[in-house]
Amino acid sequence: MDVLLSPLAGLQMDFGALPQQLVNGILIGSIYALIALGYTMVYGVLRLINFAHGEVFMIGCYAALFTSWAMGFTATGMQAAKPPTSNIVTLLIMLFVSMAVCSLVGVTIERFAYRPMRNQSRIASLITAIGVSLLLQFGGQLFLPPLQQNIQAEVNPFRDTISLTLRQAPASLKQEFKTASLAQKAAEERLAELAPPGALTSELSPEALEVRERLSELTIKSNSLRAQVNDASVFVVIQKGKLIMFAAALVLMIILRHIVLKTATGRAMRAVNHDFQSASLMGVNVNRVITYTFMIGSALAGAGAMMNSTFEGTAITPFAGVALGVKAFVAAVLGGIGNIPGAVLGGILMGVAESLVVWVGLSGYKDAIAFVILIVILLFRPGGLLGSSAVEKV
Amino acid sequence: MKIWVVRILSIIGTLVAVFGFEFFMRGLVAQDQSLDYIYRLAVLAGLFVTLAVSLNLINGITGQFSIGHASFYMVGAYAGATLTNSLYKIQPLGPETWLFVVALGGAVAAGIAGLIVGLHSLRLKGDYLAIVTLGFGEIIRIIVFNQPFLGGSFGLNIADKNDKSLWAVLLLAILCIAVCRNLCQTPHGLAFLAVREDEVASSAMGVNVTRVKVTAFIVGSAFAGAAGALLGVYDGLITPDTFRMDVSFLILTMVVLGGTGSITGSVIAALLLFSIPEWPRFMVEGGKPWQVTGATLLAGAICLIVSVYLVKRTIDEYHGPQRTKTLRIVGIVGGGIIGTVLLGTVFGLIPVLANRTWDVGALRMVFLAVTLIVLMLIRPQGIFGHEEFGWQKAMKALRFGKPGANPT
Amino acid sequence: MIRQLLPAGLCALAISAFMVGCKPAEPTGTTGTGSSTPSTSTSAGTTPATAARTAPEAPGNEITGDTIKIGLVASQNGELRPWGIDTVSGAKLAEEEVNAAGGINGKKIQVMVGDSASNPQDGKNAAQKLIADGAVVVLGEVASGITAQMNEVAYEKGVPLIAIGATRTDLAQKGNFFRVCYTDDFQGPVMAAFAYRELNLRRVAIMTDRSTPYSTGLSDSFRKKFTELGGEIVTEEFYQSKETQFTAQLTNVKGKTPDGIFMSGYFPEVGPMARQIRDIGMKDVKLLGGDGWDSTELTSGGGDAIIGGFFCNHYNNQEPREEVKKFLAAWNKKYATTPGTTMGALGYDATMLAVDAIRRATTPNSKGILEALEATENFMSVSGKITLKGNNGNPPKRALVVEVSRTGQVFRKAYEPGDL
Repeated sequence: MDVLLSPLAGLQMDFGALPQQLVNGILIGSIYALIALGYTMVYGVLRLINFAHGEVFMIGCYAALFTSWAMGFTATGMQAAKPPTSNIVTLLIMLFVSMAVCSLVGVTIERFAYRPMRNQSRIASLITAIGVSLLLQFGGQLFLPPLQQNIQAEVNPFRDTISLTLRQAPASLKQEFKTASLAQKAAEERLAELAPPGALTSELSPEALEVRERLSELTIKSNSLRAQVNDASVFVVIQKGKLIMFAAALVLMIILRHIVLKTATGRAMRAVNHDFQSASLMGVNVNRVITYTFMIGSALAGAGAMMNSTFEGTAITPFAGVALGVKAFVAAVLGGIGNIPGAVLGGILMGVAESLVVWVGLSGYKDAIAFVILIVILLFRPGGLLGSSAVEKV
Repeated sequence: MKIWVVRILSIIGTLVAVFGFEFFMRGLVAQDQSLDYIYRLAVLAGLFVTLAVSLNLINGITGQFSIGHASFYMVGAYAGATLTNSLYKIQPLGPETWLFVVALGGAVAAGIAGLIVGLHSLRLKGDYLAIVTLGFGEIIRIIVFNQPFLGGSFGLNIADKNDKSLWAVLLLAILCIAVCRNLCQTPHGLAFLAVREDEVASSAMGVNVTRVKVTAFIVGSAFAGAAGALLGVYDGLITPDTFRMDVSFLILTMVVLGGTGSITGSVIAALLLFSIPEWPRFMVEGGKPWQVTGATLLAGAICLIVSVYLVKRTIDEYHGPQRTKTLRIVGIVGGGIIGTVLLGTVFGLIPVLANRTWDVGALRMVFLAVTLIVLMLIRPQGIFGHEEFGWQKAMKALRFGKPGANPT
Repeated sequence: MIRQLLPAGLCALAISAFMVGCKPAEPTGTTGTGSSTPSTSTSAGTTPATAARTAPEAPGNEITGDTIKIGLVASQNGELRPWGIDTVSGAKLAEEEVNAAGGINGKKIQVMVGDSASNPQDGKNAAQKLIADGAVVVLGEVASGITAQMNEVAYEKGVPLIAIGATRTDLAQKGNFFRVCYTDDFQGPVMAAFAYRELNLRRVAIMTDRSTPYSTGLSDSFRKKFTELGGEIVTEEFYQSKETQFTAQLTNVKGKTPDGIFMSGYFPEVGPMARQIRDIGMKDVKLLGGDGWDSTELTSGGGDAIIGGFFCNHYNNQEPREEVKKFLAAWNKKYATTPGTTMGALGYDATMLAVDAIRRATTPNSKGILEALEATENFMSVSGKITLKGNNGNPPKRALVVEVSRTGQVFRKAYEPGDL
């Protein structure tokens, strides 16, 4: 039993960091939500788990990457005498291309892999989806760059952070920290005079060594003071880019809500969601509705892909969609698959839950917690948080 | 009375066959060491057959949508490994008898896991149940990563391995097939089928739905666990990476591709899908793997799409005699192959396409994916549909020269 | 009745027909259940290798005909593909060079590649197939988990195995195992000593990839040495390969105010992690890592954030050594680029080491090669001098600590095996 409980021994809860972790969770959750929407919409109309959706996300990452390359943001381009600069237009172009490419891919997959299976059992379509997902992963490997790629950090023009203080530390403590850090800075400057930055112990003169020894003491002191200030105050640091990412995700979700609730296409979607057969009998062009659904769902995945790879700088590989895809799928089920507000709720909830698991010091179990929460919630609400449970046959 | 004679004779026959096969394989290996690879493939194939058939019991026969079968495989493997590491040295049994103990241990552990997951099936339906089974697999894997005493990500060594255990694997596979097949022919089995067809109606008819579902989960996962335990003892080392989500998907694919509910289908599909990624290892000439040029790849892709489309249309829309239909399909497939060669030659003239080449080994997983999609498109109900391949059917097919399965 | 008897009957018939036809020679027993003894393989467990290793009993493969077959297992598919294709390229380069120079005693060498698809089971299949095809020595893999499975087969068959990038320490307990890379037990302490002594760091946080044995082992050895030196590991946070978001873990790290962060994972995760470290406001924390960082894409992944980070490497492409220059020139000529990861050089080295051992082997079979490998002394490779004699398969190698800069890796300090 001791062995099993050993991770619990390291539990820690730093309540000062809680708001920061909640914010982290919500930001990550917004990306989960964007991808989860694609799963949930397709499920809504077709009752199909679109396992290839993660791969659509992956293609979106590559689309954004290649667009950024086309605009000059390559590794060599950034070292040129006059590197390209990024602004909101660059980001919008990347967003647009990524969404467009993803819609195209989504619609193509639907047309050639899922439509022929429409009248077959759902599990058969599911296997086709797995096949498509494998094909895109391993086929992509043949043609895409062999090494992992990243969008250059400079593409994101909003790299500075804003800090939001919720509770101030005592002024005396702050003053003490300020003095300590000033002393530290002075020692650093002194050291910089004596030796180039980043010099190793073996490269330093005795005098510089002495200075550095003092610097190290000062650093430890100022760090411990900083820790005290941190403990006493509560603040949240957010990168501006991530705020924009969150805002964009919100805007896209509001647009989606508008489309679903206020337009004719949306009404048709809801009709198909409610009852596929009756809708087609009532004159709804089911094929067109399904195409639109795939288009919108995939475009949202594309937006998520572009924003995740630009603002978080994540690695882009042919397998980039697997991990996020599964998490988003879990988020969709958590909220009640087929239910659009449910997907958003599920995504945010999952992001927050993961952050909190790390917060209590169980980072090794971060990826498991999504499923644990899912199972617990499904025990009490078998249809997900906002969904309804109906009897289905496999 | 007669039925018992038949039973006993079939059991004896099976035993003779299994041990004969083991004996035969060992003989081959003794003569030519390099055939060890084939021995290994036979073991893995046997394990996959067990996995596919046992998942078929849950998925196909009882209709409970489980997509996390690798988790039971994993539980069994780790249980078997722990059991062997802690007890093998201090017990009196020989290595052969020990295999039974290990398989039993793995089965019990996985059966308990199956009970836990199966209880969820009481409340959850369809895709919700699917995601819970999938999640269970991930949770187990992550827990193992975080447990140093289970070896973490490096895996667990089994000091006393037994790599001559093909017979045990085959016995397990046959036992699994026999249990599932016989179940379908008893009143108990009819309850399983009833639950698959209509849960509400069957419970109205007095079927104990709860018991049926949980039994299916326990039995199915116990077989998977036994398979896992045998894998561990055979390999001498098990790692969490062996039981990734894609293994679950592969097993599920075997079940569906064979035809949900068809045991023979599961067996055939398991053998097929397991072996496809191994074929390219034989496509070697003088030590050099075959090279696939961009031209061939493009030509193949085009011809494949065209012929799949034509085959599908023939199957769906051609209503002539069976013989002409078959001939047409054969013609289309042949045309596709010839077309690939011709188009490939034409494309070969384009330097960009001709100069890009891949080892055939690098295309293994692509082959698997393409096979999956093509087979599902052409035969969505699976190779055997809901039907079984029996001896009578085979006789009939032989006598009349017609394929027996007729999709409705 | 017929229906139930037929399957068993037919099977039995078929089998007995086979048995009569083949008359196999069963060496150990007479029945199927037989009295064959289970193979006595040593347990690797998690304890480090100490005692002398047991040599394999099986005779291994013979060199026949006029080609010498060398097996290489690499991930041509799956997430380890970046390292896999580099290994293959390196080995192919070596093959070409050796054959252009006339081969070994007039015999050409042939590197046969088997795909492991980044998966231990597939890796084992591949190794078994290569050995069945007559490989006298097997090279590979990059990942310790896959290598361990491969070695189960290679050991049984008596074929020597030269691991390319598997740094996990306890792999080397079997007598046929050699490697061209150093072990976690060396690399981790090197970085710990460098951090403590040269960078004067006292409080370090660790980020570990729990899903790879490489990262777990490296973090363990780093922690051990660093605390031994008197430093403090303020926290260890975990993630899994392919994860993209580390802010939650990093927020915890930030709360502990470390001087440095040791990131023991592979470069696809390290780059984004470095960016996220800077993004959440840890501006002047030193970043440290192991050889998993080495990649031409490290700076594109990490951007400005990773510049100034230090990691441990096998060789440095700006080194003035003859072998390095020659290797890079040859690589550039054949592939028109530089190796994407360090595995290009290690794949080349492993092949060259195998060739060297085949040359020195007294008998033209696996056993002879194994003995020759065991007796290797001062083999000059791209990644440094390799001496396997008396080292139980783990060559004590030089480790270079390099600094990441915009233009590549800048050499900072070399550690010889006895330095720690």
